[in-house]
Amino acid sequence: MVAFKLAGQAQAGMVDVKNESESGTAAAAASTAISLRGVCKVFSSDTAEPVPALADISCDIRDSEFVSVIGPSGCGKSTLLRIIAGLIPYEEGEVTIAGNQVHGTMDNVGVVFQTSNLLPWLSVEENLTLGLKVGGRPISADATKAMLETLGLSGFERRYPHELSGGMRHRVAIGQALIRNPGVLLMDEPFGALDALTRDRLNMELLRIWQAERKTVVLITHSISEAVLLSDRVLVLSDRPGRLVEDVAIDLPRPRNPSATREDPRFGDYVVHLSELMGVI
Amino acid sequence: MKKLINRNVLESLLFFLVLGLAWEAVVVIFEIKPYLLPRLSDIMVTMWSARSILWDNSLITLVEVLWGFLAAVVLGVTIASLIFFVPLARRTLYPFMIALQSIPKIGLAPLIVVWFGYGLSSKVIMAFLFAFFPIVISTLGGLRGVPAHLEEHFRALGASHWETFWRLRVPSALPNFVDGCKVAMPLAVIGAIVGEFVGSNDGLGNLILLATGSSQTALTFAALIAVTALSLMLFYIIELLGRLVWWRSN
Repeated sequence: MVAFKLAGQAQAGMVDVKNESESGTAAAAASTAISLRGVCKVFSSDTAEPVPALADISCDIRDSEFVSVIGPSGCGKSTLLRIIAGLIPYEEGEVTIAGNQVHGTMDNVGVVFQTSNLLPWLSVEENLTLGLKVGGRPISADATKAMLETLGLSGFERRYPHELSGGMRHRVAIGQALIRNPGVLLMDEPFGALDALTRDRLNMELLRIWQAERKTVVLITHSISEAVLLSDRVLVLSDRPGRLVEDVAIDLPRPRNPSATREDPRFGDYVVHLSELMGVI
Repeated sequence: MKKLINRNVLESLLFFLVLGLAWEAVVVIFEIKPYLLPRLSDIMVTMWSARSILWDNSLITLVEVLWGFLAAVVLGVTIASLIFFVPLARRTLYPFMIALQSIPKIGLAPLIVVWFGYGLSSKVIMAFLFAFFPIVISTLGGLRGVPAHLEEHFRALGASHWETFWRLRVPSALPNFVDGCKVAMPLAVIGAIVGEFVGSNDGLGNLILLATGSSQTALTFAALIAVTALSLMLFYIIELLGRLVWWRSN
C-alpha cells in the first residue's frame, strides 16, 4: 500500500488523504515498470544552505501506463525525472525500473528533455541514430526510415537542425529516444516551448506512438490540460520540497483527441480538480 | 544587368587609389629624400626588380611560420586537453601557462637565438611561442563551453567518456579552436619576424634589417608589403578551412 502524504501547504485543507488509488492496489510486481519508495533528494553545496527538493515520494507506475507529473515551478518535477533516469543520485529511498534498482542510466530508459538537444553538426538522420551510435548498437536503415515516417520527417533526412522548425526538432528528439526502443520513456516538458497548435499535434503523435508501442511514459508538464488529455494518471507534486499531493486517475475513453476529449464534461472536472490542487484557482 | 564589381569593392579600391596618389604627391611636392620615404611607384619598381630576393626570403619566413604554427596547434590542443581532463594538470600546467604568457616573448628572442642558433629552429620556436597561447586558451574555452544540457543528454544516451569526447566535445570545441587559429596565425608571423630581427641570415625580417641598414628604404617597404601579404594569405587560408566548421554560427 502506498500512503500518500499531504502537502503542508495552504491548500492542504482542500485535499483528502487518499489511501487507495490504482497504483496502491497494483500488487502484481511483474507489471510494475517504475517503483519509487520514499525517495528524498536534497541539493547541497559547499557555499549555500542545503535545499530539499523532493520529500518522501512513493508510487508505482505500471507497464504501458501513461503518467504525467504536474506541480508548481521549482517543485522538483524535473529532479524526479532525472532520478528515475539515473542521471542524478538520491539520498534516501529506492527507485527500481522493471525490478532493477536505479543507480545510473539504463538502456531500457529513453529520456526526452525540455530542449531538443540536437547536435547542430549532425543531419536529422544522424541525430536520430545518435543514441544507437554512442551505445554501439546496430543501425538499421529500415528502422531509421520507418521512424522518419512515423515522425512525419520523411524527406528531411539530410536537413540540419537549424533548417527545421521547433516542432520538427522536438519530433527528432522524441525519435532519438524512441529508436532505441526503450520500455520506459521519460519526458521533461518536451513541448513546453511550442505553440498550442504544434503542441496538440505532437501530443497526438505521442499518443499514437504510445498506443502502438505500449511504452511506459512519464511526462513532466506544467500544462494541466495536457496532463489530463494524455494520461492514465496524473501525479500532483507540492511546492518545494516536492511531495506527492494526490494521484489522480484520469478515467476518460481512449483513443483521445484534443477536440473530442476536451468536450467531455469529465475533462473539465479533472482540470478544475487539478487546478485546485495546484492552488491555481 | 549584373555589375562586375559591386559598389562596395569599388569604393574600397578608389580609397586606396586616392591614398596611393596622395603618397606619391606628398613625396614629390615636399621633395622628401628617398631614404626617408620613397615614392610608391619606386616601391613598386623595387618589388619587381627584387622579386627573386623577396620570393626566396618569403619562402624561408613562410616555412618558419608554418612549422611554428603547426607545433603550436599540436602542443596547444594537447596541453588544453590535459588541463581540461587531468585535475593535476589544471593545478600545475595552467598557472605555469599563465606565467609563461606574462613574459614578454620579444624579450625571450635573444635567449632563444643563443640557445638554438641563427638557423630555422630559433625562428620556429619564436613563431611557436607567439601562436601557442591563443590556441591553448581558445581550445580550453571550447572544451569548457560544451553546454551542460548536451553533456547530460549524452549521459542519458549511455555514452562512454570517449564517445562523449569524440562526438560532442570535439565538434563543439572546433569553432573556438578555429577562432584561436585566426588569432594565432598573424602572431606566428610576428614571432618569426622578431626571431629574424634578433639573429638570422635570411628571411623577410632579416631583409628588412639589411635594407634599412643600407638605406634601401624602398626595399624595406617592399619587404614589409611581402610580410603583410604573407600574413593575409595565411589568415585567409585559416578562414577558408574554418568554413568547414560551418555550424559555428548556428
